[in-house]
Amino acid sequence: MSNRFFRTRALTICLVFLLVLVPVTANAGVGDIFSLFTTITGTLRNGVGQVLSGIQSTNTTIRNFEQEVVWPVKVINQARAEVSQVRAQFTSLAGQIQSIPTNSATLVSPKQLEALLRSQQAGNLGRLGQSYEQVYQSLPQANQATTAQRNLMDVDDALALGALKTATASDQASQQMLIVADGLEQQAAVSAPGSASILAAQAQAANLQNQAMLQRMLAAELRQEAARLAHTNALRKQSADANRTLRNNLQQILSR
Amino acid sequence: MKLTTVKEIAKRAWSVLKWKAVFLTALILVLVMAPLRARGQFGLDPCCAIISAGLNTVSGLLKNVVAKPLSQIQQIEQQAASFEQQVIYPKDAIKNALGLAGQLQGQLRQINQLYRLPINSATLRTPQQLEQALLSHNPQMLDQVSQNYASVYGTVMAPADAPQPIRDLVDMTDAEAQAALKKAVELDALADVELAAADQINQQIQNAAPGSAPILEAQASAWLVRANAYTQSGMAELIRVRSIDLANSGAQLKFNATDVNTLRNNTSQALGRGSK
Repeated sequence: MSNRFFRTRALTICLVFLLVLVPVTANAGVGDIFSLFTTITGTLRNGVGQVLSGIQSTNTTIRNFEQEVVWPVKVINQARAEVSQVRAQFTSLAGQIQSIPTNSATLVSPKQLEALLRSQQAGNLGRLGQSYEQVYQSLPQANQATTAQRNLMDVDDALALGALKTATASDQASQQMLIVADGLEQQAAVSAPGSASILAAQAQAANLQNQAMLQRMLAAELRQEAARLAHTNALRKQSADANRTLRNNLQQILSR
Repeated sequence: MKLTTVKEIAKRAWSVLKWKAVFLTALILVLVMAPLRARGQFGLDPCCAIISAGLNTVSGLLKNVVAKPLSQIQQIEQQAASFEQQVIYPKDAIKNALGLAGQLQGQLRQINQLYRLPINSATLRTPQQLEQALLSHNPQMLDQVSQNYASVYGTVMAPADAPQPIRDLVDMTDAEAQAALKKAVELDALADVELAAADQINQQIQNAAPGSAPILEAQASAWLVRANAYTQSGMAELIRVRSIDLANSGAQLKFNATDVNTLRNNTSQALGRGSK
């Protein structure tokens, strides 16, 4: 009796364990299905829908901001038109002003020299020396002036002529730089906001080059001014030398 | 008697079958109460209608809440992309700007060559040497400038040959003239460096993109600031040269005044002696 009881109990326990431990497929009740759908729709409405709506709103705001405030097509076109207008209005005017002749020499040799000086052609530099000499004369012979005086005249001529040549070359460079500026302006008139930065970079590089040319001119001017100062100073020294020679000569005469 | 027997039989049967009955009852209860898998084919399952309604709701939500905004976002993105490609960064405009960079570089190099043309013209040996140093664009030749300068313009006169104030003036004038000439050589050399930098920046611009061009522009601007500073230092030297020239003119007037005063004193002394 007791054995049978224990056997039955053991069998029951085994059955219960079997039922509990054996893996079964997941099952859902009606309530679970409702709950699942509620969660999904809730997620779609609140989790996904609201975020997407927010993204859409942000994108629309950005698009409107870019197209209406930052890069309005109307204003871009207006700027392009203004570039063309300013170019038409001022470039030719500036060109006319610059092309007004400034020459005024009346005699043959000065006229030739002046024409070369204002030719804006670096190709004329070779002829400039000859024309300069015709107006300002060549160096006196060795027996006509002291070596110091001849050196002084020669260096004065050289620095004056060098500065004149630099000015002529600079005139041609200025003309070419104006062509560069005109090209940049023309391109600016058909540029887009995205390509304008490339043109601006080019303009800055050209500006740097322009500054270097200004320095060349400044260097020539410095040489000129220094030569003028040195010339005056050299005359003082020569005057002192002449005084000393005079003094010595007088002493010699008096001592006789 | 019979009833007693039946009861006893039932009692015995219960005692024997008690646990089996409990087990069977429990099994039936588990089978009945336990939730079954949901099925949805052919509408035979009671849950199918609920699932169908739920899926329709989900589908509707996907269409309205997800698909519509996504479609609008896509449209906005397409519009933005089109706007950027056609209005802000049109390929043709970028290509033309880059093409112009190559074209301009050729012109700028031609301009550079203009400043490379020889401008020397001195004919005598000593002035030639000075001129060569002055037009050398080479800062390492600055020492030679002083030597050649002295050869052409002379040195300060000996103490016996001029009064000290005159010697001071001459020395100061020589110093400033030489400084200006040296500064001119420096400026020429700096201009060469700047032109080389401009040329290199120009080359970089030819391969630039709208996004990288502002960086190159900033670099060119920085160089420009530097160049302006060098020009400024050149201007300062020019001002000094002219100031020394002006000061020399003033000094000359002072010397003249002193000379006149000396002459007046000497004359009055001579006249005084004569009257005695």
